[in-house]
Amino acid sequence: MIKCPFCQTSHVDGTLFCNECGTYLLDDDQRGTDPLGTSEIGWVGDTAEDPVATSDYRGTGPLAIRLSIGKHKRVVEIPLNKAIHLGRLDPASDVFPEIDLTNDGGLEKGVSRRHARILKREGIVVVEDLGSINGTFVNGKRLAPYLPETLSSGDTLQIGRLLIEVELRS
Amino acid sequence: MNTSPLTPQRSTGKHSSPLSMQPILSHATIKATPNEQACYVMLEISPSKDLPTSRLPLNLCLVLDKSTSMQGIRLQQVKEATRQIIDFLEPEDTLSLVVFSDKAEVLLPGQKNVDKALAKSVASTIQPSGGTEMLQGLLAGLQEIQTNRSEMSVNHIILLTDGRTYGDDEECIKQAEWAGLNQISLSTMGIGADWNEDLLEKMADVSGGTSTYIDTPRRIVESFKATVRELSTIVAREVSLVIELADNVTLHEAFQIAPHIRRLDINDDHKLALGPLGTNNRKIITLELRISNAEPGKQQLMRLNVMGDVPTQALNRQADNWTDITVNVSSDTDAEVVIPPVIITALGKLAIYKMQEKAMQDMASGNIIAATQRLETMATRLLNLGETELARAALLEAGRLARTGSLSSEGRKKIRYGTRSLSILPQEL
Ligand SMILES: [Zn+2]
Repeated sequence: MIKCPFCQTSHVDGTLFCNECGTYLLDDDQRGTDPLGTSEIGWVGDTAEDPVATSDYRGTGPLAIRLSIGKHKRVVEIPLNKAIHLGRLDPASDVFPEIDLTNDGGLEKGVSRRHARILKREGIVVVEDLGSINGTFVNGKRLAPYLPETLSSGDTLQIGRLLIEVELRS
Repeated sequence: MNTSPLTPQRSTGKHSSPLSMQPILSHATIKATPNEQACYVMLEISPSKDLPTSRLPLNLCLVLDKSTSMQGIRLQQVKEATRQIIDFLEPEDTLSLVVFSDKAEVLLPGQKNVDKALAKSVASTIQPSGGTEMLQGLLAGLQEIQTNRSEMSVNHIILLTDGRTYGDDEECIKQAEWAGLNQISLSTMGIGADWNEDLLEKMADVSGGTSTYIDTPRRIVESFKATVRELSTIVAREVSLVIELADNVTLHEAFQIAPHIRRLDINDDHKLALGPLGTNNRKIITLELRISNAEPGKQQLMRLNVMGDVPTQALNRQADNWTDITVNVSSDTDAEVVIPPVIITALGKLAIYKMQEKAMQDMASGNIIAATQRLETMATRLLNLGETELARAALLEAGRLARTGSLSSEGRKKIRYGTRSLSILPQEL
């Protein structure tokens, strides 16, 4: 039997999604448990109360990530103290990604509004596709949705068809 | 029915099946264990490439609610939609027109080679009046369809209503079941917030049709047109998936994922009814299996056959064309599990749909707190998928539920029709 990390319901082995709460069960991390109340709606789970996103800030591993985005190599450096969302800004839908790819040709390049997120987990920097339409790729390999993949310096991250070079800063 | 379900019995290949099936398995390898474990199969069912795509003649009846509440823009849009459908028809198609309020009236008896100008002028005479007695309209529509059907025709009723019908729900469902058994499918469309989605959905499901929530009159025309366009691509009727399971395997649940999500009833004979199949509406099905006593080696889980009535290929209704589904069973417990992303995506959406089902059940049994929490969790999942609008609707309704103990009629429809359309929502990038 396997136990849902979110609601503790038991399921037979091999079950992929929790019947009670919809959590993906294959990973034994806390993914998908982002807190959300009726009072707030928007880009959730990336604030201080998200244990996944904040627990490693003082731990080992890189402190920041530097991204060179698109053919103009727009450089963004951002600390890894919380999850960093990549997508397209859409205030009408309450989508406010930390890294807005709208002006990097995001729409034409197939970037979803909520596309992917980067975060540090046990000292390791990982990227996770958030069920985007056109996919997230690391060095050309498409990621399964919601399955975190390790990111290292020198990797090429691809958001839809938008290329981003990755450098980790200690 | 099947004394030896797993005797190898491959197609002889004399006639290739007119319907093709592509299965994908969630786990290429499962664990060798006596304990029960889950495994999923996703199937895409579509007409074979070499099937002639000649258009079958339509035998179409529009059954339209003309009750007082339809007055104004609703009725105006219904008339416009009717006119556009009339223009779409080919000479060999049959059209009939029924309106109903307290009673039904056949405005245009079924006819081929429709006199388009006449039909349009008849449609323009519809005047709103009276209440909503759907059964009357349905019966008149079925009568028209029966009178005008042929061996080859695609028989279909588009029923549009904006209100609740009182007292005749059960009889409506019975008639819809009868229609399904007689190769007549129903598109049931509800406009506004005052109709009964349980009833309309059930009527569509049992007849092999589709129900549609039309939130604004502006969408009436496109809904009608989309339905008729789809009907004109139908190549197979009464499609079903026949499943034969190995002794140590059971079928836990079955869902249609596309064109929209719906739960498939599992009967004793393990034959899933899928309704008609068109060239541009492939069906995607997921089956959740439970396997016990898996022993190392190759294990055949089941075999599958798609059957259907393909009017252009009289021979093939019973095409004997089985596909074996086989999995590896391994004692290596540390083997990495790789699930195909398409399965994760489909089941993720299905999980949300099932939470909606459960929230409605919680509510029906008076468990408001559980239902509220379920809606909130559902909203989180929807946000993860980028379905902001639906997430917002779920949160609003969760709040309302917590305060008042019930959902709004509109919110209930938004959530129901939104979650079941998750797989096909025009997913804006
Ligand atoms: Zn759970």
